[in-house]
Amino acid sequence: MEKIRLEICCGTTCYMLGASQLLKIESVMPDEWQDKVEVSAISCMNMCVEEEICAAPFVKINGELLRRANVESVLEKIGEIIREEA
Amino acid sequence: MNDDVFVEMECRQFIKTGQEACGDDYQLMTLEEENRAIAVLSDGLGSGIKANMLANMTTTMALKFMRSNLDLPGAVETMMDALPVCEVRHISYATFSIVDLRLGGTTKIIEMGNPRYIHLRGEIEVPPYKHERFVSPNWPDREVDTYNVRMQTGDRLIIASDGVTQAGVGQKKYKFGWRRSGELEFARDLIRRTPDISARDLANAIAFQALSINPEKCADDISCLVIYLRKPRVMRILTGPPYHREHDRDFALLATAGADNVVICGGTTANILERELGKKVKIDLKLIRADDELPPPGIMDGVGLTTEGILTLSKVCSLLEKGDPSSPIPPDAPMAARLIINRIEESDRIEFIVGTKVNEAHQDPNLPLELELRRNVVKRIAEVLEKKYRKKVDIKYY
Repeated sequence: MEKIRLEICCGTTCYMLGASQLLKIESVMPDEWQDKVEVSAISCMNMCVEEEICAAPFVKINGELLRRANVESVLEKIGEIIREEA
Repeated sequence: MNDDVFVEMECRQFIKTGQEACGDDYQLMTLEEENRAIAVLSDGLGSGIKANMLANMTTTMALKFMRSNLDLPGAVETMMDALPVCEVRHISYATFSIVDLRLGGTTKIIEMGNPRYIHLRGEIEVPPYKHERFVSPNWPDREVDTYNVRMQTGDRLIIASDGVTQAGVGQKKYKFGWRRSGELEFARDLIRRTPDISARDLANAIAFQALSINPEKCADDISCLVIYLRKPRVMRILTGPPYHREHDRDFALLATAGADNVVICGGTTANILERELGKKVKIDLKLIRADDELPPPGIMDGVGLTTEGILTLSKVCSLLEKGDPSSPIPPDAPMAARLIINRIEESDRIEFIVGTKVNEAHQDPNLPLELELRRNVVKRIAEVLEKKYRKKVDIKYY
């Protein structure tokens, strides 16, 4: 199975509005997810300019944009994907 | 100053155990338009505050006299007359070494009472082409030596206080201390192994070695001043998107040539470079601690380091303002700021290429912190680098 790609925008805006917490997400993921998810940081997705700033922080999960991301919403989305694939 | 050569001057000191102030003092000055630099190191009689004052008076006078090209024996006489007399030992002095360095001309070294300087070309010690000694008429027990040398690019001068040469005195292995010969061998050995060692690293290494030879405590103030003439090391920091989009390409190309080190500060800036140069930023999250207070740094292959923009630059600025050239940044400093400062320390000339387009998202009142304007932070960094760290800084706006 291909790994789930979690990309976190680490531009100034996203970082200040919560991406700093998202970078620690691996420490709260269930053990059995650890080798199913690949977490990476992106310099800037440029979304705060293209979209609106209050939708930050932005993440992409398997390429799909998630707005106002926080640890709970990201874990939920990953959980959905894992359940679908199972 | 001649653009092909950079005069790197650094001094490392350790204070005698039990004292609050260093009894040695040094002052450095670069006179760009005269292609000239002056360095003075003085060791005040005794230790602690009193010695520090004597040493400081001496370096201040010496620097002023040298700068105004005062005639030598007269200047030295005035300095000795001006210093107060010690009630116990009835001598009124602080020893000193003065280097009056002229690029492309004769460099003069004037010494009274300090260990003799070391002039190295690679690992070879170079003798002076002229040496004179005179005795002061008012202070007949004081001899002043003047040496004329010619400095070339790649040459180093090492000036030390007797805390270095007499380190370890009385120990079995160092009956007469480390001595100048020990210091010389140590420096030559280091240069043999790391031919490009900076003045800063060499001064640090010699001072640390002297400190470690002393058993348990630092027996005397230790100072090691190194002057290194070298090709300037250029660092370029690109930050912010250009005001006009059609300048993106020229801006991006500045990251690819003419600098030894390149740092790209800012997410949008990194995006522009990725697009214009066809490169990709890689961020390794394993390299940072979970509680690091700045966004993680990355690498753009073949180009250089990438970091977030304004938060990182603001942190770099406050760390530089708090720190000083001889004391490294605190161990808990965030990774991105640490990597930038390490590169700054290794460089002589720092070029900022500042894109002036304002990121509107940063002005949004919903942000939890007020963000400084990029241009202001860069100006503050430039100012502290020039004043405190003796770096040459250029800022270009795009």
